[in-house]
Amino acid sequence: MNRIATALAAAGVLLTAGAAQASTLADVKARGMLKCGVSQGLAGFSAKDDKGQWSGFDVDLCKAVAAAIFDDASKVEYVPLSAEARFPALQKSEVDLLSRNSTWTMQREADLGLMFAAVSYYDGQGFMVPAAKNVMGALELGGSKVCTQSGTTSVQNAEDYFRQNKMELELIQLPSVDEVVKAYADGKCDVLTTDVSQLYALRLKLGTPADHVVLPDVISKEPLGPVVRQGDDNWLNIVKWSYYALVNAEELGISTQTLDQAATSEKPDVKRFVGSDGAYGEKLGLTKDWATRIVKSVGNYGEVFERNIGAQSKLGIPRGINQLWSAGGIQYAPPIR
Amino acid sequence: MRLRLMGAGLMAAAAVAVALVLPLGTANAQMRPTAGMGNQIVDVPEKPGYVPSPGEEQLDPAFRRQPVYFRTNEPPGTIIVHTNERFLYLVLGDNRALRYGIGVGRDGFQWAGLQKVSRKAEWPDWTPPPEMIQRQPYLPRFMAGGPGNPMGAAALYLGSTVYRIHGTNMPNTIGMAISSGCFRLVNSDVQDLYNRVPVGTKVVIRQAPEL
Repeated sequence: MNRIATALAAAGVLLTAGAAQASTLADVKARGMLKCGVSQGLAGFSAKDDKGQWSGFDVDLCKAVAAAIFDDASKVEYVPLSAEARFPALQKSEVDLLSRNSTWTMQREADLGLMFAAVSYYDGQGFMVPAAKNVMGALELGGSKVCTQSGTTSVQNAEDYFRQNKMELELIQLPSVDEVVKAYADGKCDVLTTDVSQLYALRLKLGTPADHVVLPDVISKEPLGPVVRQGDDNWLNIVKWSYYALVNAEELGISTQTLDQAATSEKPDVKRFVGSDGAYGEKLGLTKDWATRIVKSVGNYGEVFERNIGAQSKLGIPRGINQLWSAGGIQYAPPIR
Repeated sequence: MRLRLMGAGLMAAAAVAVALVLPLGTANAQMRPTAGMGNQIVDVPEKPGYVPSPGEEQLDPAFRRQPVYFRTNEPPGTIIVHTNERFLYLVLGDNRALRYGIGVGRDGFQWAGLQKVSRKAEWPDWTPPPEMIQRQPYLPRFMAGGPGNPMGAAALYLGSTVYRIHGTNMPNTIGMAISSGCFRLVNSDVQDLYNRVPVGTKVVIRQAPEL
């Protein structure tokens, strides 16, 4: 089925060769609205408030794309999707873009006919311990009692990690997340392990969150990012470069607070970014100032991170591996030139 | 309290240097910018003789000392200061660093580069530089080391510069860019750092990109 869909999409592109952009971008422009698939509610990533306003790290990516197209980040229709419903909804064109804490895997591209546009957040399995233990890294955890949820990939990852590093492990597996948190809070285990983003969310359930630290080690790969359908390369580029604009903005020092300064900058990188030199966005069916529109609406990558999941948010996740490549992390964007 | 944007306004800020007096350790705690958003300069005068309460010494979780993921080519033992993040990293190797929350001086904005720890001292004496005396004429010309001294519990002197990494008697200024001073840590953190690094330690200072 996916192959047929792809073939049809390819044929569609051929039939409208003269107007190759008569595709997702054209649909979105005609509709006047971007349809963005998000989670049904995940603190920091996508959540709806009492007034019906969506916010979050994943939501800001929807807004960034809408801002690039419409110069108006509110032109988004959010479609909350369950884990099961998310990929079919994208395949069936119920959404233009999926921005829903989804892990980039080969199966999801090769088998589901989808493409991940970028890794907006590097997640992976980590460890939480009481701060009072003064542990500096996971290699010091030998002989620990480690709590995790049974039936998850965390079990195997933890076993592999401890075995590879010749450390003794007493793994306590519990059927639900709540039981895992309770066991850790009651001191039945010294360590709690699951994906780092979830560790920070679970930490909020403990009496004094600041009394617990998440160690810097990340022992598995859970690259999260926005997803589109195969068959519309220009749309893939728009989503991809909207994300790259966020990252490049941070690297260049362009933020909501420095946007005015950036507009008059003489630095070549900055001039290309704001569109005072060249017209890179126009080649994608956007405008010269596409990247400026994005930063104006949601800020740069660092601002998006801090506001939703970083130090300014409840979750309080340090930038860590998601810091820029030039500042200790691995977030990296190709240059605009 | 005066807030200023970093960047072009910076040199102007350095030249103007208006200092407004803040109530001791009260309102400024709420006005402290959170980590990662350090693009404001706040003028907070030194308070020689002021001894902070244990409660004040307790930092916001975001600025507390903690091991973090940190990828770098610098060898373990190197200190890397990211002024715009308001963090100081002590490289541990294996993609890890010990991260400390810092306050940075406006002077600290003006330079980036490589230095070495040339000297270490516990509870150092304080001799405010002339430009500080000019701004805050009521400051003492000399103050012996000890609690209440703005230099705090320890200082790491950077090369032959006037800059140093030191403690503070104003823990509420961690996370801020303040009108005077260098890189400041709370006393428990500067003591921890003092115990971990020897004289000769490489210190890399990094700045926000300029537009």
